Amino acid sequence: MSTSIIWYLREFLRMEWLRTFLFAKTAPLVTPPYFKDYPLPTGNECTACYNCMMICPAPGAIEVLRHTDHWKPMIHRGHCIRCGLCVEACPEDVLWSGRVLDAKRNDATDLRSWYRLTVDDTLCMRCGNCAVSCPVNKQADPSLASTGTASSDEVIMKIEGGRVRVIHEEKCTGCKTCENNCPNKAIRVARMVEGIQERGA
Amino acid sequence: MSILQKIKNTVRSRSIHVAYVDVGSCNGCDIEVLACLAPRYDIEQYGIYVHNNPREADVLLVIGSMTPQWVDKLQDIWEKIPEPKVAIAIGNCPISGCVFNRWHSYIEPPVAKYIPIAAQVPGCPPRPTEILNAILALAPTLFNDYEEKKQK
Repeated sequence: MSTSIIWYLREFLRMEWLRTFLFAKTAPLVTPPYFKDYPLPTGNECTACYNCMMICPAPGAIEVLRHTDHWKPMIHRGHCIRCGLCVEACPEDVLWSGRVLDAKRNDATDLRSWYRLTVDDTLCMRCGNCAVSCPVNKQADPSLASTGTASSDEVIMKIEGGRVRVIHEEKCTGCKTCENNCPNKAIRVARMVEGIQERGA
Repeated sequence: MSILQKIKNTVRSRSIHVAYVDVGSCNGCDIEVLACLAPRYDIEQYGIYVHNNPREADVLLVIGSMTPQWVDKLQDIWEKIPEPKVAIAIGNCPISGCVFNRWHSYIEPPVAKYIPIAAQVPGCPPRPTEILNAILALAPTLFNDYEEKKQK
């Protein structure tokens, strides 16, 4: 009994023990190098394709701005959620953040996007404004006018049998001219994105 | 500087009382504030204590994207805090509304419209170290020679 008390007293009167007990501090915290922080420029040239702006889930977080002789993406703090999608979506690797670029290279992953056109038949009044206003339609069939009917099958969408028929969705460039010209907001352009991985990687 | 003021400065540098208020967040930032209390970050070793009573607080952490129901209540909370007081916006939401700032969402950011915000910690969510650094950087400017500054 008495020996154990002495043992305890000796143990707790050690300077080392007292110092660590009274001045306890956790180790200074360093941000690990793999932390996915706000994206920083790598120095590669931005081509202003806006893939980063289109994929960004946070409103107002990234803007591609024109400087005197070059384009540059700008990240707004207070808006950016550090998801790293802009880094992943950029085809030129203009930005870097944590291990996003390394992972993209090692796993041979990429993002593929296309546009999906949906027409709500209960709202559509078959005016043909979408088919007439579409700039791609104008290239494919210059004679397409007024009612939206077309003889060519090369157009994105046309009026056929009293309703809008979407023929070549893959030609859509996502300009949303049809959406802006639709009086009933019946046509919707949605950008679809899919993560892909090359086989064998 | 009087000796009394010096004593007050020393004592206050290790006694920062924090209250936090969630004005409509997704709980992500709340969890990061909670992580500050955990042994890994351990804010009490810096003399920062978390209360949820504004009358005991010096620092108010505002978390969340400001739903309309909070507009008058947040001002009430701010007025209950005794001087010297300071408010810190934690996360993107009180600064900009973050991902909730879209059409048809019932939020009214920024929080700086309703109460004076002294510091903003961006991030969705911010790291606990960033929250800690903001509190520790702001506390000396708030407390040091408070009485002497007030008399001037």
